[in-house]
Amino acid sequence: MTTADRAVARFGVGLRSTLLAALRSPTALALLVALPPLVVVGYAEAMAGFPRLPFVETVPKTAGRLNGALFATAFLAGLLGLFQVVSAARADRRLVVAGYPRATLFVARLTSVLVVVAVAAALSLATLWFGVAPEAPLAAFGSLLLAGLTYGLVGVLVGSVLPRELEGSLVLVTLADMDAILSSGLVETKGLASFTPLHAANPLFRAAVLDGTLPSDELRAGLATVAGLAVLTAVAYLRLVGTAGSGDGTVESAGDGPAADTGGDVR
Amino acid sequence: MPNIENRGDGLESERRSTDGESEVVLQADGLAKAYGSSLPFRERVEVLTGTDLTVRAGELVGVVGANGSGKSTLLRILVGDLAADDGTVRVSGRVGWCPQETRLYDRLTVRETFALFGEAYGLDDEVVAEARDRLADRLDFERYLDRRIDRLSGGNRQKVNLAVALLHDPDVLVLDEPYTGFDWETYLAFWELTDDLRDRGTAIVIVSHFVEERERFDRVLELADGELHADDGAETDARPEGTEVAASRREAATDGGTRGTTGVRFDDDR
Repeated sequence: MTTADRAVARFGVGLRSTLLAALRSPTALALLVALPPLVVVGYAEAMAGFPRLPFVETVPKTAGRLNGALFATAFLAGLLGLFQVVSAARADRRLVVAGYPRATLFVARLTSVLVVVAVAAALSLATLWFGVAPEAPLAAFGSLLLAGLTYGLVGVLVGSVLPRELEGSLVLVTLADMDAILSSGLVETKGLASFTPLHAANPLFRAAVLDGTLPSDELRAGLATVAGLAVLTAVAYLRLVGTAGSGDGTVESAGDGPAADTGGDVR
Repeated sequence: MPNIENRGDGLESERRSTDGESEVVLQADGLAKAYGSSLPFRERVEVLTGTDLTVRAGELVGVVGANGSGKSTLLRILVGDLAADDGTVRVSGRVGWCPQETRLYDRLTVRETFALFGEAYGLDDEVVAEARDRLADRLDFERYLDRRIDRLSGGNRQKVNLAVALLHDPDVLVLDEPYTGFDWETYLAFWELTDDLRDRGTAIVIVSHFVEERERFDRVLELADGELHADDGAETDARPEGTEVAASRREAATDGGTRGTTGVRFDDDR
């Protein structure tokens, strides 16, 4: 087996394992299916009674649907990323000690989050469609995926920096809630919205649904946000599952065993 | 009783140096580790203060010590899971690590767990399948291969935890409280397995709250005040509750013709 074949095989087994672990939770799966429609409808109904704002073109109920779809996708992605990292952190470390490449594990985790997020995005978009037919459905789906990927990374980042479920969830729910409002264009933020993770994905999604366009500025900003977050998240995650990667102590391995593959101070 | 199989294949001789003494396969020098925090109200705890350890091929070394003495910290540093603040560890060959807590993926089946760790070890599927089936037979968990880890009993989970460490036929085996939750027959099978591994040249380090069966070990070291010392057996005076059960089991095992004096390690509030 060549090195490339081995790398592909390792990624395949890792992705399969992370996906199986995510999908073998019936309650979580049921919530994943049920929550996006509920959030979209809930947001729409909550905003239906709002007066139309002079500086917002969208009618409140439609704005509610759009925000609901975005929030449901992004927040679920964030939670999934967070819990995947926190619940598996110790096993991940053992797997890395055994020789599994940290970077491959990171990509496998992120890919599995993206796969599940695609389902949540499709459900959110389908629910949205009952009230608002997207002008550019594929672009709208892509925007939702971008939002999901953004928050999937945020979830993994929070889980890597703060590897505790309760504390991480509190950070995530607060951030996602504020983000959905601040980046919606429905409130005056004095520039604060440009620092939120969804600052580009939100207008991108609205443009795709309402105008059938994908503004290039927002698209670039959204991709740049994902790229920046990916770097930060990778560093935090690799540090979380890294082995013997700090301090002055050294571990040397003369064989092809686990210690030889663990990075950091391991030589 | 699990089927015990001897897989001796001559590795022992490969691990002998020319002067007849076994090769050093694990060497730790001056390991130091302290746990602290940047927060002002958290106390800094020095766990290891210059720990040295040398283990030769085919040697079985026991490490005992009181709760919180740093046994698990030492093992985590030895396998590269934790960085020491100071000191060096040199390992020759493949390392197998059985951590104290079952660090496995709850929602994967036993079979999937072996496939994943086999991939991590760089083993081919056939090798993984052969080793998995052999270990499952030996440690008596073959009927649970398609069961999820989180649906196994504590003892069976620990069997898998141990078997994962053995999957790639390591040269150095580092076991942290490896027989926690084992039933009596599996406990005996575990020792027969370690005997076979030693015969094949595998160096084994076993950490336990205390070691009762001293004669099974080549050396027993006590970790105290951050350093390893040759243990004089005094720790067995401080046996936790349940010692009487150990004695009765010991007698039963001896009556049954089991080699030497046998006993059990008792779980405490670790």
